[in-house]
Amino acid sequence: MELQALAFYVFAAITVVSAAMVVGSRNPVYSVLYLILAFFNAAALFLLLGAEFIAMILVIVYVGAVAVLFLFVVMMLDINLTELKQGFLRYLPVGATIGVVLLLEILFALGVLGASKGTVAELAAKGVPVSSVENTRALGRVLYTQYFYLFQAAGLVLLVAMIGAIVLTLRQRPGVRRQNVGDQLYRRRDKAVTVVKVPTRGGVR
Amino acid sequence: MDLAVKLIVFLPLLAAAIAGLFCRVIGDRPAQFVTCAALLAAAVLSCWVFVRIGFGPADQKLVVVKLSTWIGSGTLDVDWALRIDTLTAVMLVVVTVVSSMVHVYSVGYMAEDASIPRFMAYLSLFTFFMLMLVTSDNLVQMFFGWEGVGLASYLLIGFWFDKPSANAAAIKAFLVNRVGDFGFALGIFAVWMLTGSVSFNEIFAKAGDFAKMNIQFLGMELNALTTCCLLLFVGAMGKSAQLGLHTWLPDAMEGPTPVSALIHAATMVTAGVFMVARLSPLFELSQTALAVVTLVGAATAFFAATVGLTQFDIKRVIAYSTCSQLGYMFFACGVGAYSAAMFHLMTHAFFKALLFLGAGSVIHCLHHEQDMRAMGGVREKAPQTFALMWVGTLALAGIGVPVILGHGLGFAGFYSKDIILEAAFGAHSTVGFVAFWLGILGAFMTAFYSARLMFMTFYGKYRGDHHTWDHAHESPPSMLIPLYVLGLGAVFAGIVAYNWFVGDSWQAFWGKSIAIASTKEILHHAHEVPLWVKVLPLVMALSGIALSYLYYVKSPDLPARTIAAFPSLHRFFFNKWFFDELYDRLFVRPSLALGKALWKKGDVAIIDGVGPDGIAAGTQGFSSVLSRFQSGYLYHYAFAMLVGVAGLVTYFLLAKG
Amino acid sequence: MATGIDSWTLARPEIFLAAATCLLLIWGVVRGERSVNLVSGATALALVATAALLFLPFREGTAFASLFVVDRLTATMKALVLVSSAVALLMSRAYFEKVGAWRFEYPILLALAALGMMLMISANDLMSVYVGLELQSLALYVVASFQRDDARSTEAGVKYFVLGSVASGLLLFGASLIYGYCGSTQFARISQALLEGRAAELGVVVGLVFFVTGLAFKVSAVPFHMWTPDVYEGAPTPVTALFAAAPKVAAISLLVSVLMGPFKPLFAQWQQILVAAAVLSMLLGAVAAIRQTNIKRLMAYSSIGNVGYILLGLASGTEKGVQGVVFFLAIYVVMSLGVFAVILTMQRQGKMVEEIADLAGLARTRPMIAFAMLLFMFSLAGIPPLAGFWGKLYIFMAAIEAKLVIPAVLGVLCSVVASYYYLRIVKVMYIDEPGVALDRTPIGVNAIVAGVGAAVVALFSLLPQPLGTAAAAAAKGLFP
Repeated sequence: MELQALAFYVFAAITVVSAAMVVGSRNPVYSVLYLILAFFNAAALFLLLGAEFIAMILVIVYVGAVAVLFLFVVMMLDINLTELKQGFLRYLPVGATIGVVLLLEILFALGVLGASKGTVAELAAKGVPVSSVENTRALGRVLYTQYFYLFQAAGLVLLVAMIGAIVLTLRQRPGVRRQNVGDQLYRRRDKAVTVVKVPTRGGVR
Repeated sequence: MDLAVKLIVFLPLLAAAIAGLFCRVIGDRPAQFVTCAALLAAAVLSCWVFVRIGFGPADQKLVVVKLSTWIGSGTLDVDWALRIDTLTAVMLVVVTVVSSMVHVYSVGYMAEDASIPRFMAYLSLFTFFMLMLVTSDNLVQMFFGWEGVGLASYLLIGFWFDKPSANAAAIKAFLVNRVGDFGFALGIFAVWMLTGSVSFNEIFAKAGDFAKMNIQFLGMELNALTTCCLLLFVGAMGKSAQLGLHTWLPDAMEGPTPVSALIHAATMVTAGVFMVARLSPLFELSQTALAVVTLVGAATAFFAATVGLTQFDIKRVIAYSTCSQLGYMFFACGVGAYSAAMFHLMTHAFFKALLFLGAGSVIHCLHHEQDMRAMGGVREKAPQTFALMWVGTLALAGIGVPVILGHGLGFAGFYSKDIILEAAFGAHSTVGFVAFWLGILGAFMTAFYSARLMFMTFYGKYRGDHHTWDHAHESPPSMLIPLYVLGLGAVFAGIVAYNWFVGDSWQAFWGKSIAIASTKEILHHAHEVPLWVKVLPLVMALSGIALSYLYYVKSPDLPARTIAAFPSLHRFFFNKWFFDELYDRLFVRPSLALGKALWKKGDVAIIDGVGPDGIAAGTQGFSSVLSRFQSGYLYHYAFAMLVGVAGLVTYFLLAKG
Repeated sequence: MATGIDSWTLARPEIFLAAATCLLLIWGVVRGERSVNLVSGATALALVATAALLFLPFREGTAFASLFVVDRLTATMKALVLVSSAVALLMSRAYFEKVGAWRFEYPILLALAALGMMLMISANDLMSVYVGLELQSLALYVVASFQRDDARSTEAGVKYFVLGSVASGLLLFGASLIYGYCGSTQFARISQALLEGRAAELGVVVGLVFFVTGLAFKVSAVPFHMWTPDVYEGAPTPVTALFAAAPKVAAISLLVSVLMGPFKPLFAQWQQILVAAAVLSMLLGAVAAIRQTNIKRLMAYSSIGNVGYILLGLASGTEKGVQGVVFFLAIYVVMSLGVFAVILTMQRQGKMVEEIADLAGLARTRPMIAFAMLLFMFSLAGIPPLAGFWGKLYIFMAAIEAKLVIPAVLGVLCSVVASYYYLRIVKVMYIDEPGVALDRTPIGVNAIVAGVGAAVVALFSLLPQPLGTAAAAAAKGLFP
């Protein structure tokens, strides 16, 4: 139990610090790398909660796909750091104040700070029903039955994302050579070659 | 009877509507025809009604035609109703006859004007309002007519609206009348407060109960009825141009001459006298109010006559004379001789309308020249006008032989003016005495200045430019016929009507339409005065004319020498006792200054500055501030959202914790 | 209710729209750009057909394991969303053809956004709320930057996207708090948990604050409105027209069903939030618009102000308040689509213009259009007896009955201030001298939409009763 608590605090601390570094780091590539670190630790926290499926999804999707994509984008863009950082210090005090106030307020409301009834601890004591089936199986059972509707709707969200991505980026430029598989497959011999009888010493006209 | 009364009142309105609203469609001639025909018909009907009412049996001397309910709100009930009794019938005849004559006269006088239909429509409209006034059955309807004639008067004085002086005069007339009307309105409120009614019958029935009642106002103990009467009298002063509120009348001469004849001589200005006579049962109950009426009337009679001595504008002379004659009527009312006042009102309407129209004829003849200094010898060019003007002048001066044939023999003004003076003397009171002597002096001056007008205009040599003289001509028949009709009135109205109005059969004639008790007493005393009282007015009138002849025909240098002898007195009279200047200093300039201060400082600086403009400017400023928040930077926006969330969370934490 | 055939029947309009959209998408992909007119026409038709399916026949109940609910209010709101989306789609063609961005994805995205709005409206579970919200938001982010070669359009899209994501984050955080305290995401269970005492807990209130904040962003209530002017101005005008109408309806409807449903026990708390947001929105909408010169930006502030009135009606928490909200929304949608239709007819020398000053002299060059605009402006200003006046009247009456007298008075005052800029537009159209006259474009869809909008406004002005009855029927369901 103590080990679990220790692990929680370690992972949580690293998550918070690396999240801060995402914002604070001077080099955007470092920022993305810190982001990946934060994701890993968050995944570890999920593991500690016994949510192994989400932990794995987090690693695969966020670390494997999203963050790496971010990394590529950041490396390919020419970002002027000084310009980006301008105003950072100027807005830091007021921004930080609001952030800290909000954080403290939420902590207070949740009963972590100060005395308030209905604290998180109380809720946790009640306990989330722990089922004997593992995460993945449980998800699989409800995803296509109870939450079928949400699954379909989420599919539509992805469809929109796809259409959006295409519509905002796909450009048909004239004069660009591109592969057309259908054309290639349907290409017949008589369209590609003509057999010409070349007279001797006459050359091709 | 009912139908006739309705026709009398509404025919002019109908004619005004036709001429006024369709003037562009129907043109000049039909407009003149419609209005004149309507008025002549009304005049004929009025005479018939007058005979039926005035000489009918005692129980048929009051007819009330209810038209509809006007206001019915709580205890306030106001009807549209036409009340016809002898008093009204007299006024109906005076108004419709003079008005129809003026209509006919206008056809000739205004022939060259550009907007004839408008003029005819205004005249008819005025007549309608005047008839509404005289036939009213309650104070509110009377006020309606009262304001209506004020409006028509405003429109007609300012008829030539391209003349700045005409506009100024119109506004002045309207404003001065507002003062009087305000008093009248307050008087109506007070009467309603006292008696709970505005209907004449009910007021008169209840008035006696309140005669001794007092009211508190600003710590003063006032007799309720006296206050009512005085407030109402303020209204009468305004409309009838009595001393203090008279300043608009001379200026009103800026209007076309037929207007002056109709409105500012014969009818509208007499509305005040009519009102006092109509409310005589009320005034009867307050000796204080009557004394005030007497004094104001006498003072006006004297004041206006002194000013009339010095004026040069032919119409202004007559205007002051009107003012003066109205003063006679008021002091007749004041001493209780209401029938005498109405008598004089009637005769005056004829001869004063005659004088005005005659003056109009002269003006027409001389191409709109009004200054008597530029006239003279006009009798050669306009002999008929000349003769008729003499008739009017003699009637105004009150020439006649007293005592013979019972009541004497003379022009219309002779009878009515003499009975007024006799009544004032016969009142045997201090105010009556004052009024009598001021009236005698006034009679002398009246004779002097009316004869002066005649001599300066018609005698001697022409003093204007020759071009005008060469084109001078006698007026057309459409103008002369009314003059003859009115001339007949000026000669015979007195002889014919004396007996009914103030003679032996007055009681049978008037019925209950005026206060009987005091009239009876005062007429009795008036007939019993010593001989010298009856002769003195004639002596004064004759000597006035003789002196005038001396001054303006025999030795024309006398006026200048007299002026040189009494320069300050002349200046005082010539400048109309400095009333205009006084009012300018007392009211006009302070009002302007106050208005300007309220406008610049109060309205623009404070109300607008803090109010609409200030708020608008503040809103605009606020708007700019808000626009500046809209910086376009994403992180600002996101930050604003976070601040919003933080604010809400903080609020709930504080509210709960 | 149970899953199975019931669910499919209840969700038939949504399923129909999704299927139709997918078919049209495939058609568009196969046929390429040639199909754009056909796809857009068919999409508009599909939207209208879906609206018809809602009521032919009308059924109510919950479906898909209580994730989805249909009742009179949701059906009414969905119909409003679908019709306004269809109208916005019809208004788009001329504009996009002119800027060279008329592509078949546009109608598809619009249809998917409408579908997302329908899911939002029908949500009966915090998860359905989120999915529906994301579906419509994502589609709208894309259409906002649909004119992708235009810097302002792209900027609008990015801004909307980033801030929308922040709002989604807030909403999710709030939802997770609520789930944490109430133990369920289902509306009915949340309501039950709150009634059983969870309502007293601070964490729930904080969750509510975050959740409502997320929705307040969608309806652009102050202080979560900052995106609105920029996005309205930057987005292509037909898209702005859509933004001003359909998503507002959906988000308001969602607010109504969430606050009147599961969070009813927290009425005292959310009333305060709504009153604050309403007053601030009315104030900002009235004041900030005064300085605007761009008519789209002006309409953005106008929509903020109008949302303020709607929130005020909602804050009353009574049946009458909801009735007022539905009534006001319906009229507002008509007016705002009409105004944008007028804006879309404005061209000068072949270019679209959108400055207020460009309207100068419109009354002389195009009197009918100017008159329609005058009607919309007077109605927006709430001048009796126009439809907008009745809407405000309902709202203010409901607010006063709910003892929100001061906010109601403030609302009236703001309405007075706001009438300044509405009337200024009328003044510009009718009194100002035109500079270079606007083109006399032939009567197209937009002119017709403006005309029909004006006719509808006029109709509602003279006969507000039927709409009021319909709104009352829709509101009744929430107050059994």
